[in-house]
Amino acid sequence: MERAPVPATLIRNLEFKVGLLLVGTLVLALAFLAYVLHVRGVFEPSQELILVADDAEGVSVGMPLSFSGFPIGRVSRLDLTDQGQVRVHVAVPLKSARWLRESSRFTLEKGLVGGAKIRAFSTNLADPPLPDGAERSLLTGDATQEIPVLVAKVKAILANVEAMTAGDSSINRALAHADTISGRMAGEYGVLEGVLGGPDKARKIVDALDRANSLLANLNGVSLKVDQMLVKADQRVFGAGGTMDRTDQSLAQVNAILADVRESLGKADAILREAQAAAANVNAITADVKGATTDLASLRAEVDESLRKVNHLINEINRKWPFARDVELKLP
Amino acid sequence: MQSVHQFLTRVGAGFIGWLKSWRGILRFAAQAAVEAFTPALYNSATRSVVQKQIYFTAWQILPGFTLFAAVLSYVLIQIVVTTARDFGLSDYALEVSIRVLVLELLPLLTALFVALRSGAAINTEVALMNINNEIRALEEAGVDPMRFEFTPRVIGGAISVFALTALTSVLALILAYLAVYGFQLWSLPDFNRVMGQVFTPAAFVILSLKSLAFGLAVTVIPIRAGLEAPRMMFFAPIAVLRGMVRLFFVLMIIEVASLALAYI
Amino acid sequence: MADDAERRALVDQHGAAALVSETMPLRANLSVLENIAIVPQYRENLPYAAAADLAWGLLARLGRTDCAFKRDPALTCEERFVAKLLRACILRAPIILVDRPALLLPDIHYPPFLEATLGALEGHYQTCWIVDYAWNAPLYPPR
Repeated sequence: MERAPVPATLIRNLEFKVGLLLVGTLVLALAFLAYVLHVRGVFEPSQELILVADDAEGVSVGMPLSFSGFPIGRVSRLDLTDQGQVRVHVAVPLKSARWLRESSRFTLEKGLVGGAKIRAFSTNLADPPLPDGAERSLLTGDATQEIPVLVAKVKAILANVEAMTAGDSSINRALAHADTISGRMAGEYGVLEGVLGGPDKARKIVDALDRANSLLANLNGVSLKVDQMLVKADQRVFGAGGTMDRTDQSLAQVNAILADVRESLGKADAILREAQAAAANVNAITADVKGATTDLASLRAEVDESLRKVNHLINEINRKWPFARDVELKLP
Repeated sequence: MQSVHQFLTRVGAGFIGWLKSWRGILRFAAQAAVEAFTPALYNSATRSVVQKQIYFTAWQILPGFTLFAAVLSYVLIQIVVTTARDFGLSDYALEVSIRVLVLELLPLLTALFVALRSGAAINTEVALMNINNEIRALEEAGVDPMRFEFTPRVIGGAISVFALTALTSVLALILAYLAVYGFQLWSLPDFNRVMGQVFTPAAFVILSLKSLAFGLAVTVIPIRAGLEAPRMMFFAPIAVLRGMVRLFFVLMIIEVASLALAYI
Repeated sequence: MADDAERRALVDQHGAAALVSETMPLRANLSVLENIAIVPQYRENLPYAAAADLAWGLLARLGRTDCAFKRDPALTCEERFVAKLLRACILRAPIILVDRPALLLPDIHYPPFLEATLGALEGHYQTCWIVDYAWNAPLYPPR
């Protein structure tokens, strides 16, 4: 039979071309599938990490878990517990798992723009590694949630600034007061006057100090007299029996009180020196005045206390001393 | 009263006709799909029709279309990357461009291109075959036209759209890498991570199904439109027009449906 | 055949017959050779080369190999008729019906042409009926 000539068709190598295209497409598709499976970590052994959060808004499956800015894991599943907490399952490839330690912390951060970020922080890489299936809490920090608070704060600050800069504001008044104070400091009693608000008040302090001094002198007199009394009334005391012990105690108290008073006076001296230094240093005035004020207040309290103790002691002595009437103890 | 009745009848008839033609399309698609998986379909004659269809639909346009897709992809990626950088969102540039190009734009563009080129050609050819009675003649000659002419074209069209989509998509991915990271391989892990994020199993399945649906639509609808036309010469342009408009809407519906599936 | 209705009835009656008719055109985008070869290719899954050899042999019998790679619009009436006849012939149907040869072969005195063609194809078909109107009967030689 006669053979048909090879037809001069329009298409040369039709089968080859189509076959090439088909095989090429198939190979491409399969390779791509394998590639996608590979990048999704199907072929890579991984361990699971469960992060528990109250609110996992913005977290989606496939989201990366980053450590120092490098993705080391991927959110594989999200579910809700019966307690209403979100459990975020993160698949961490074994080769990246070494960045996670027992002490690692996990945070969920949400920026103004863009998605949320889950980040891991491992401060100590010498800690034991995180086991498979470990459960950790996910700390949330949300920039957007802070915004209303931030705005409120800024508003309050602005209001304060406005109040400060107003004509009758406390700052202005404070500045005026500071003026007066510095004026007074230039007065007779210096810093004391400035701190205490007037020359008479400053004088009172000075008087108090004077009185304390004279009290000290008196007390010295008292102790001398007591010594004399002891010499005189030696027998009586012993005769009365038991009083001696108590008197000894009283004396010890008196000594202690005297020490207290001395200490207080020393402090007063120091404060006065301090106040003088403050007066010299105008720049540091405010801070020093503040310190001086508190110190002076405590000094006053101490002096008062000393006086009170002395009073009490005298009462005590009066009570215990059978011939107390003979002793005239006058306090200034 | 009479005119209202006529109007309603006309509307009803139009609607029923519309329904019928869609049912016809669906039935035809189902038949073609079933036949495509019937081994008996594939004989020397049908294979050659499939081959020719793939050759005309995919091979012939391969260089031109690939070049076009590459240029378009590169320009779009550059725009996205530059804009993202300006807004400080570089992290998302790659993901956005991959999503836009590979998952949405390139499949749709491929389908549209094939529809305009091969879809229109198939529509015209089938309409002319139908009008010239060539279909009956084939049957008379002992050749089932459905199996010999139509199903192979559907298969060839679907394969072509898939192949073109796959090729241009892979090309776009390579270009995206180059545009974002430059000509080096050190950023592959970053790229891989983004790819892993974009190509979830769901996204992969949706992309495959969409590509398949595009491929089917691109051939099924023109063939059906050609077959539906009354057998008169002046209906040929109308058949092509109807087929093309219908095809356009079907492609858009498929795209919107895929978007809805993926993002809602 | 008396009239058109009778002709139609006869054609419909022989549904299994291969019809060579003006209303059954060749596939427009295939050459003559492919139009013939497609039948064994499709029906018997013959590879294209074998099917084309078969078709080529038939064309050679009729001395029409020069039109093997032509398509329908480029064909003369005789060539087109031969192509349609061979397409019916290669189907190996029990009956070939040549419907109204006057329509297929308008430019020639067709009965002798038909006879010569069918004679050359002797052995490649079983029965061939020519369906024609009664008023064309004088054209045919008496049997």
